[in-house]
Amino acid sequence: MAKAMTLLWGAGSPPCWRVMIALEEKNLQGYNQKLLSFDKMEHKSKEVLDINPRGQLPTFKHGNTIVNDSYAVCFYLESQFKSQGNKLIPDSQEEQALMYQRMFEGLTFYDKLNAVIYYDWFVPEGERHESALNRNKEALTTELKLWEGYLQKLGSGSHVAGPSFTLADVVIFPTVAYLFRFGLSAKRYPKLGEYYNLLKDRPSVKASWPPHWLENPEGQDTLKDI
Amino acid sequence: MAKLMSLLWGAGSPPCWRVMITLEEKKLQGYKRKLLSFEKGEHKSQEVLEVNPRGQLPAFKHGDIILNESCATCLYLENQFKSQGIKLIPDSADDQAAMYQHMMEGLALTDKLNSVIYYDCSVPEEERHDSAVKRNKEALTAELKLWEGYLENVAAGSYLAGAFSLADVIVFPSIACAFRFGLSVGRYPKLAKYYSLLKNRASIKTTWPPHWVASPQGYDILKDL
Repeated sequence: MAKAMTLLWGAGSPPCWRVMIALEEKNLQGYNQKLLSFDKMEHKSKEVLDINPRGQLPTFKHGNTIVNDSYAVCFYLESQFKSQGNKLIPDSQEEQALMYQRMFEGLTFYDKLNAVIYYDWFVPEGERHESALNRNKEALTTELKLWEGYLQKLGSGSHVAGPSFTLADVVIFPTVAYLFRFGLSAKRYPKLGEYYNLLKDRPSVKASWPPHWLENPEGQDTLKDI
Repeated sequence: MAKLMSLLWGAGSPPCWRVMITLEEKKLQGYKRKLLSFEKGEHKSQEVLEVNPRGQLPAFKHGDIILNESCATCLYLENQFKSQGIKLIPDSADDQAAMYQHMMEGLALTDKLNSVIYYDCSVPEEERHDSAVKRNKEALTAELKLWEGYLENVAAGSYLAGAFSLADVIVFPSIACAFRFGLSVGRYPKLAKYYSLLKNRASIKTTWPPHWVASPQGYDILKDL
């Protein structure tokens, strides 16, 4: 099963991490994988473009089936391997609804994070404005407060969309981990800090932890004042 | 079933349209709905904020369950009402993979369309640059060419993932917007064929944006793409 799967991934990519967590959760260890370098522009190499014309990672193949969007891979794996590993979509109507809702809010969350930490990567020098970066920081702060609220309402020890670990955690945890890696204050965001601690040692998360974070435990402080 | 559902929506909004198409496909007509005006800022009204703290539309309720993300709502409805109406998630592994893939890519398409069509709405005057407008148009052109490729073999009953599916529910509204805003039929023949094949589908015709029916003439922002 896993032997028929191949993942091209890059370090420092939450979307890649989502797929790796999902593969672990569904007991699909042993898949073929290749680590590529964003800095060396390997995501725009022919090897990637042959599978993913967008030149983005992750890029995933299962036999002849290609799926390149991290959420699409997660949905596909849960659907195809429903009966193995952990159940990632709850049966209860309410829990399911909350899971889907938070998953898609997770895309906004991720975008707002990128708009701050990768501002210079995305915006050419001649188009950068202090006002824009400030606005992006305010938007991220508002977003973080929303998620603090969501976690607060669910109570201690809860996952992001309810009592159980679900696809919502698969896609959102990497974003939360990145927030702290880039210096977010756990004091100012205690619920997010609790959530991070709850999941950082989960086997699927630990097994797929970004290798360069292990080499350099200290992150950056871009977000320390958020 | 539908009587327990309510939708706050805005005209011309692809995310709202997606939810309305799905409700039709799953035979959930009869839901309560209220049309709000973006221009009058009604999406930021107390009524919306109570359901959706983000002050965005669509805002959907099913009993006490709240769903404010269009894709989330569509996936929820398909999963909860699997046995009624049209099946929107294919069974075959290949078609399913294609469906999920194109569904998610549909969000990139919508973003790129918005970055061109709504540039002035989302970027304050002092931060606007011709170079950014140009780059956004180039990105949108590249995106549209990708979709032309995906729809190479489009035909009746053969859409983004085989039979009509959630991929089409998510993507069609943005394609319709693109043509509304002047996209060239001659330059994008496959997209045009996709558009003309689906525009008369019952669920789509019934939920067609009312102001598009009222004034069939659109805009030409995209005519040179």
